[in-house]
Amino acid sequence: MPEPQTLLRKGALEGVRVIDFSWIVAGPQCTRILGDFGADVIKIENDANMDYIRASRPVGGSRSPNRSPLFTTLNRNKRSLTLNVMHPRGMELIKDLIKKSDVIVENFSSRVLEKWGLGYEEQKKINPKIIYCSMSGFGHSGRDRDFVTWGPTAQAISGLTYMSGLPGEESAGWGFSYMDHTGGFYGTIAIMMALIHRNKTGKGQHLDLSQVESGIGLTGTAILDYTVNNRPFRRDEMPPGNRAPERGIAPHNTYPCKGEDRWCVIAVTTEDEWGNFVKAVGNPSWTTEERFESMRSRFENQDSLDELIAQWTINHTPHEVFEILQGAGVPAGAVQTPMERAEKDPQLKHRNFIAEIPHEELGKAKVESIPMRMSETPWKLERPSPLLGEHSAEIYTELLDVSPEELGTLYEEGIA
Amino acid sequence: MIEQTSQTPPERTGGALEGITVIELCGARGHFIGKLMGDMGARVIKIEPLGGAMERQIAPFMHDDPHPDRSLFFWAHNTSKESLEINIEAPEGQEVIKKLTATADVLLEDFEPGYLPSIGLSYEDLSYGNERLIMTSLTAFGQDGPYRDYKSTDLVALAMGGIMHSCGYDDLPGSPPIRPSGDHGNKIASHYGLMGTLAALFNRHFSGKGQYIDASVHEACNSTTEHALPTYLYEGENVFRQTGRHHSTTPTPKTLCKTADGRYLIVFQLFNNLNSWLSLVGWMAEAGMAEDLQEEKYKDMARGGSRGMRAATDTTDSDHAFEVVRRFIASQTSEDIYRGAQRLKFPWGQVRSPEENLFDPHFAEDRQMFADIPHPEIGEGVSIKYVGRPYRFTESPWDAFRAPLVGEHTKSILSNDIGYTEEDLNALATNGIISY
Repeated sequence: MPEPQTLLRKGALEGVRVIDFSWIVAGPQCTRILGDFGADVIKIENDANMDYIRASRPVGGSRSPNRSPLFTTLNRNKRSLTLNVMHPRGMELIKDLIKKSDVIVENFSSRVLEKWGLGYEEQKKINPKIIYCSMSGFGHSGRDRDFVTWGPTAQAISGLTYMSGLPGEESAGWGFSYMDHTGGFYGTIAIMMALIHRNKTGKGQHLDLSQVESGIGLTGTAILDYTVNNRPFRRDEMPPGNRAPERGIAPHNTYPCKGEDRWCVIAVTTEDEWGNFVKAVGNPSWTTEERFESMRSRFENQDSLDELIAQWTINHTPHEVFEILQGAGVPAGAVQTPMERAEKDPQLKHRNFIAEIPHEELGKAKVESIPMRMSETPWKLERPSPLLGEHSAEIYTELLDVSPEELGTLYEEGIA
Repeated sequence: MIEQTSQTPPERTGGALEGITVIELCGARGHFIGKLMGDMGARVIKIEPLGGAMERQIAPFMHDDPHPDRSLFFWAHNTSKESLEINIEAPEGQEVIKKLTATADVLLEDFEPGYLPSIGLSYEDLSYGNERLIMTSLTAFGQDGPYRDYKSTDLVALAMGGIMHSCGYDDLPGSPPIRPSGDHGNKIASHYGLMGTLAALFNRHFSGKGQYIDASVHEACNSTTEHALPTYLYEGENVFRQTGRHHSTTPTPKTLCKTADGRYLIVFQLFNNLNSWLSLVGWMAEAGMAEDLQEEKYKDMARGGSRGMRAATDTTDSDHAFEVVRRFIASQTSEDIYRGAQRLKFPWGQVRSPEENLFDPHFAEDRQMFADIPHPEIGEGVSIKYVGRPYRFTESPWDAFRAPLVGEHTKSILSNDIGYTEEDLNALATNGIISY
């Protein structure tokens, strides 16, 4: 890795080069954050095997591979290189790129890189300091290593789907690929830990991630309740819906609001907050009833408590409830729609959450920014998601020393 | 009662973050960051108020005994930490934090904005004399903005962050959006807080300087809703929630399928390509349950691949195909469908309760996903099985030890790290700064 000498670093990961074979959501989520932190992420695809998400809901119904909204947010701050690894010259060029890189990321099923002849042992021969992060469904060892996952699969197997829902009903689960996001986070976390370790020891390593295992890691309390108390999470009163039996507090739930299918949430966590809540809703007489006099009695009588609160919330919009209760010091929120988050939420606006940058085909790329501010290495939207092959010429000629003549041949023979 | 034993934390085994010292001033919002760092070898000193962190009161408890050292919620989120029980409202307590951060690498905190500066522990105060310090503040809404002082909990974060809008039921009339249980708003934010902290540690290796990170749960959740924002930003449409499957702007077939033994599977990617369709129908035919699915028109749908699938989702043919597949699944056990489908490379998954993975030999035996962690305070030789590493490092392994008892390391930290004498400790105890 080039040792940057300057103290004025553009990004926290400046000087780190990432070979990104990843696709769909989990892998691109991982490398997106590396790119956001300033790494040079080179996304490798080719015309026949492009990132599937390039075709997801293209704006204007076009067949262009450059117009998918989800692709746009997952792949900003990356460069695109088209290269066919199945061609011997393509493989040579990849090996040259590995010499000049720090990290390799892929989220194929577990034997793909080995089949290419590019498993970790081979990578290590080319560059002993390489950090190889594989993000498969079940990991690179074990009897089920060939099983495959998408986000919903990993959520189901890990237990996360089951943990979301109303008691006595089917699972509500997650309405999106939470484990693609979070599996991606664990890839990013592992890679940065390995980079820190390499700074200290000079050693690279293979990071063997399993999307299901990263999901299981989020269920720690439920696992302990079983191993310590022999109490399964699969039991009559579980999952807990929107209530908080683990904390024994009430009210803690969703409540219906004015409007079609509109909801707010209220979470009263202390006696002080209950006092504030009672005042904020206008001291109705039921709040003085004995069955609601303590946190414990409110928790025990929360069915009736929730009904009474709903009679108040139904006369307000979710954001009215939010403002009235927050104004009184009570934790409450609106179940916000995408429109409200994108256009109205004044906090997100204040924090410049939606960022924009010109994009050749979309006019403007609009993306979710990285959710933190760093005082020394602030996030920048340096470039929009790359057009397919947008940076091939510069990477081949500047980084891989391909002559302009050979570059023409690479394109003609379908290698680039 | 659990016998209090003052312990030195176990020797570490070369984790990736070995040598890094973290001071943690976190509750439920940020304690997962310290755990993830500690499990990878960092030395994490958790600062707790007298009597212990509030999270020690969260159920379930070991044998349902509500003791601060027996909260399984606390155990799960606080492995690999030392506990320093001290009153930081008092100047003597603040002095201890300053002394610890003078040589620490990272300070994690999740107080309300402005609280630490109000007691003289701002980043400016703490990094004075230690410009290598990295301080990560994880708050509900961020350090500035109109919602800065608003109160939040995990439920509020998941509502405001748009996650609940995508989770729930479309076939249970009047049912609310659902908060997936398990403190996921806090976890999403902690993952981002950790990523920022690690990036800053990497950067410091080259710049020699730490930095201040202002991370917000609200933004973290808002950036973790997959299609929801991109779809609105480019198509102007709100996705809606559907039972057990992806949010969408148009209804999609239900993917949750019930099996003969009363379990559920997530079943999708039916029309991924022709080969997978043919193997699915072949499998069903072997059981005599393919019905009319061998007809040509279904092959055409499958040939369309993902585009064909999407184009077909509104049609009667696709609904019918799903119904036939559903009947086939309903005739078999969950285990048979799961293993049979995975053998054919379909990404179908059993809907398991978390503890069921303890009995899956792939995770439990082959991958050693669960770790036996010693709990000598409960009894000699006692170990308890925990969920283990969320990633496998081949050179710098994951390695956890149990969460600390309240104030377990107060004395060792104050004596060994700060150099306080027995007299100093007695004075602190007399003044109610430490419990000792």
